[in-house]
Amino acid sequence: MTMQLFQKKIGRRTFLGATAAGAAAVGGLAPMPAAAATRTVRIGFLAPLTGEVAAWGLPGLYGCQIWAEKVNAAGGVRIGDDVCTFEFVSYDNEYAPEKARTGATKLIFEDDVKFIMMLGGDTWPAVQPIADKSGMLVSTLLPSDLSPDTGTLIAPCEVHPIYNVTGVWWLADRMPNLKSAVICAQDDALGRPSVATYLAAFEAHGIEVLDTVFFDLSTTDFAPVMTSMLSKNPDILCLDTAYADYVHPLCEQAHQQGFKGQMISCTADFYEKIVEKTSKEFMEGFIFQFPDFDDPALGQPGINFDAPGEFYAEYNKRWPGEWGAVSWEYASIMDLWVQGAQRAGSVEPQDVLAGMKQGGVGKHAFGDAKWWGKELFGIDNALVGNWPVVVIENGKAVIKEMRNIPEWWAMHGDLLVKHFTEMGEMYHQRG
Amino acid sequence: MRRAHHGWRFRATLAGIYAALVAMPHLLSFSQKEIAVFLVINVLVVVSYRLLTLTGEWSLAHAVLMGVGAYASALLAKRLGVPVPPAMLLGAAAAALVAWVLSFPLFRMKAFYFLIGSFAAGEIIRLCWKRFREPFGGPKGIKLIPSVPDVEIGGLEIAFFDPVNYYYLCLAVVTLSLVVLHRLEHSRIGLTFHAIHWQDRLAESVGVDTRRYRTIAFVIASFFAGLAGALLAHYLGTVNPNQFDVEAMVYVLIWVIVGGTATIYGPILGVAALTVVNEIVLRGLGVDQARPLVYGAILIASILFLPDGLESLGPKMKRAFARIRGPHGQP
Repeated sequence: MTMQLFQKKIGRRTFLGATAAGAAAVGGLAPMPAAAATRTVRIGFLAPLTGEVAAWGLPGLYGCQIWAEKVNAAGGVRIGDDVCTFEFVSYDNEYAPEKARTGATKLIFEDDVKFIMMLGGDTWPAVQPIADKSGMLVSTLLPSDLSPDTGTLIAPCEVHPIYNVTGVWWLADRMPNLKSAVICAQDDALGRPSVATYLAAFEAHGIEVLDTVFFDLSTTDFAPVMTSMLSKNPDILCLDTAYADYVHPLCEQAHQQGFKGQMISCTADFYEKIVEKTSKEFMEGFIFQFPDFDDPALGQPGINFDAPGEFYAEYNKRWPGEWGAVSWEYASIMDLWVQGAQRAGSVEPQDVLAGMKQGGVGKHAFGDAKWWGKELFGIDNALVGNWPVVVIENGKAVIKEMRNIPEWWAMHGDLLVKHFTEMGEMYHQRG
Repeated sequence: MRRAHHGWRFRATLAGIYAALVAMPHLLSFSQKEIAVFLVINVLVVVSYRLLTLTGEWSLAHAVLMGVGAYASALLAKRLGVPVPPAMLLGAAAAALVAWVLSFPLFRMKAFYFLIGSFAAGEIIRLCWKRFREPFGGPKGIKLIPSVPDVEIGGLEIAFFDPVNYYYLCLAVVTLSLVVLHRLEHSRIGLTFHAIHWQDRLAESVGVDTRRYRTIAFVIASFFAGLAGALLAHYLGTVNPNQFDVEAMVYVLIWVIVGGTATIYGPILGVAALTVVNEIVLRGLGVDQARPLVYGAILIASILFLPDGLESLGPKMKRAFARIRGPHGQP
């Protein structure tokens, strides 16, 4: 599906006008010389748009649509001698390797894209040979896809699951009386490394993990899962990186079974619906990692995502109730891609990669960050810096603090390596 | 005379179809070539599944047994350094062996109980892949699986990374497999499968060991499913447990049901038609997010209006034309 990114609706004009100047600032737009050639750069979006993992693909495509309209409305960005506007070409990979391979082939050889954004996970290994042969630059939201042999793969936005340490770190500082936790996770490529991360974080902050419950992806009845967790009488319930389809029933079950303690999770996509299904009181204090972008904390200096409040408002206007963890992430990757392309003066994949990694630092959405990952992934292709700790207060997600992941790594990195190794998640143990 | 003429026409039609299949990849776009590779592999999956249905049993473990072939072949090639072509055959043999072991508990059951039993057995295998990281790689499965080695014939290098070359390899393997399956169906064993399907008590009364014949069908069907899995694994370079879950099995059932099971070409029609609709027509229309809805509607319509599958469409049309033309060929 090719999105034509100038859908004319009156409601959007206000947004585009208000943010065009900001886009110019982010894109580093200088006044365009009259002779500058204009070209449209195609970007591939290869993620699940249908199926149970669609919640981590489709909202990202929506965000990219807003990003492209904003940048294009500002006249594009100058890269080298050209002024570039953007068009996203999406392919629904249904989170299936064979569809991902077909999609990558289409995007690279038929659509002539210059960059592909993926969710990653199960789908990346099937794309890797195509990316290697064609030299295509690909981004993933899951750095656990990274290894020394994935030279064209980068994780420039989300360092899942490493940022989960910030939530536990903040929790331990604020509520030192909570001393025990139970973790549950779906047994898959997202759940397991996340469990390793939570185990490391809990150990680092003196919280005993009483049990870890893995459930299958086909689970639909979460009552036994929750009963098993609550039987350990934990202070903290940790929902790990469960998909939205699991977080919701898990919260409902915790509510129905009378849990009164602290809850922590990587995501709480569509949390308003969880509040509706349970209660404001029950969800009060729920900790997770993905903010709403109307949060005043994102207006502070050092935040590199342009006009997050306007982005959030526009998003909610077009797709009410659809804001999720990835809504802004792919768009923020595009900001980084543009920076890299401008540094390189080229849109060619290998040039942009060199441009992005120039100096070993990049402007991550939540602040300046560094390219990192050798110890954990065998390659410095993950951009790591600050990450927000988000808490639900009175039914609304609020950023409580930004915490620095490299700072935590400097203190407790050995624990992360230990638990990744025990879980078989180190790059040299995989596959 | 009439029979000879019919045979000649059949062979000419078959030759025409094969000429089209050989020419096809050169008429397709890059991504459609990839789809063609997966389609040919899926043809083997559905036709092998039909072999089991000949005995009257429907299994929910077929996708998992395809996975057994994929995992076994991948592990043999990657861990033990077995060359890929023999690894594929050994992978298929592993699937057959697993099916033979499963046949002992499963063929104590029949019909619906067999269906549920096969689902449970398949899930146990699949959960073992997830649980035992060594050697199966856990939920992430196995990646960087060796591909089919390039070959040089008369100075011409054939790289199997190229979807066109892999398509031809799959076409050759699947054609050979279809010939074997076709001959088997029309052999004494195949006729016994049919007899067990329609009159299993009667077959038993004349001394046919129905359980043994069901086991034969299950083992042979699993061998070819395993071969299809091996072809898939060495092309994709990765296998993981989710590729062979119940959703994958549902797709196999849908292809077979929509195509029909009375003839060998029924399931082929089903998988080809639905793949073209899903992967080419609906994607081409740019209705990515509506595809499950449209796909579901097509399925319901086909089951309502063509309960005997797409394979019944030809005879139905023939009868309709005959009615229009009247008893003496006059309109």
